[in-house]
Amino acid sequence: MTSVKTLEVDILIVGAGPVGLYGAYYCGERSLSCAVVDSLSEVGGQVTAMYPEKQIYDVAGFPAITGRELVRGLAAQASQRDPSYLLDQEAQQLEKLDDGRFRVTTTRTEVVAGAVIVTGGIGTFTPRTLPAGEEFLGRGLAYFVPSSQEYVGRDVLIVGGGDSAIDWALMLEPLASKVTLVHRREQFRAHGASVEKVRQLDVDMITNAQVTELQGDRVLERAVVSVKGEDEPRVVEVDKVVAALGFTANLGPLREWGLELADNRHLVVDTAMRTSLPGVFAAGDITEYDGKVRLISVGFGEVATAVNNAAVYLDPTAHVFPGHTSNEPHDVPVPA
Amino acid sequence: MPYVIASGCIDVNDKSCVEECPVDCIYEGERKSYINPKECIDCGACEPVCPVEAITQDRAVAEGDEPFVEDNRAFFTEVLAGRDEPLGTPGGARKIGDLGTDTQLVLAWEG
Repeated sequence: MTSVKTLEVDILIVGAGPVGLYGAYYCGERSLSCAVVDSLSEVGGQVTAMYPEKQIYDVAGFPAITGRELVRGLAAQASQRDPSYLLDQEAQQLEKLDDGRFRVTTTRTEVVAGAVIVTGGIGTFTPRTLPAGEEFLGRGLAYFVPSSQEYVGRDVLIVGGGDSAIDWALMLEPLASKVTLVHRREQFRAHGASVEKVRQLDVDMITNAQVTELQGDRVLERAVVSVKGEDEPRVVEVDKVVAALGFTANLGPLREWGLELADNRHLVVDTAMRTSLPGVFAAGDITEYDGKVRLISVGFGEVATAVNNAAVYLDPTAHVFPGHTSNEPHDVPVPA
Repeated sequence: MPYVIASGCIDVNDKSCVEECPVDCIYEGERKSYINPKECIDCGACEPVCPVEAITQDRAVAEGDEPFVEDNRAFFTEVLAGRDEPLGTPGGARKIGDLGTDTQLVLAWEG
């Protein structure tokens, strides 16, 4: 069991989506130490989880940019002052300490912060599970592919019909011994051109099908696939299954933080992005106020407002206006 | 601009859409399912998977289906047949399960 680490920072940002990442950058501009926590193992929030390949046309300054490129740019921008990323951990409890700071406990870390900015979007993302295979989680079944190493030379089954399933099929086909793709429907939701690429490869695509069972002794050995219209299920020899069935999001623990909620899903904020709890701010899709419009560009403005007001909360002698960034030299990282 | 489930769903109630929704805002009634307009995040994941094409954005409902825009909202604000209080914003359909009832409009629908 991993022991819990403790981290002290000026600002804890809850949620590493586009707005959280931009907030981390602004903390750097204000010379405030910052940590960003997210339950997913990658940054990018809704954009990375739901539409990394799609073109986005309404981000200020970019006539068109893919979700993936936007997240890459934001992460590079944020890296200028080296924020701490606490990924793959869900922020669970929030308490106010006697010295006025906040202690936020995640599944693996205890963070003590002077102020908190909640950029939680639509809540914690958890992968949709593959009901037929839960017992093999960690023993052959995975919901993510953090590294392709363990798939080299293996028989892999990918379940899903969206961009993630198709992308992983493309990534693993040259490395794996065999790749089979199983999707519940006839049509794939993924980007047409990518689906075409998969059709050209030696990937066995089984549509109108569902995995009804995973079998094996200590390790995964085979998958039973039921195909619509076929009486007998097919048995596929596999040692790895990747379930790319999308995510569901839920505010979960955030609802218990004692913050004023609207419609049971949004945090009410004022014009300085303050929530009902002094020292806790919010920005992005999770906020609610008269006239709120849930756009990425709106979120960017809100988190800049939140960080600069949090700076004054932490030091009442500070100015809410950060100064013109062009007046200072910046070591600008080039996106990877 | 939430999405809306219209008359095509009545007495089909396939529920493929329920599996796609990332915020679990599609609630099952008896004859059809309903999207909670306050919980819908406009991602559009539900629309392409409906086998009878019953789902559209609220501003794009088919002719004759306009009452379903308000009806999707009414499912959560009305006191439904057999219940004591409106559903409101429950925060997730999975927690509630099959409601086993419908709005007045759908109960009376003969289409």
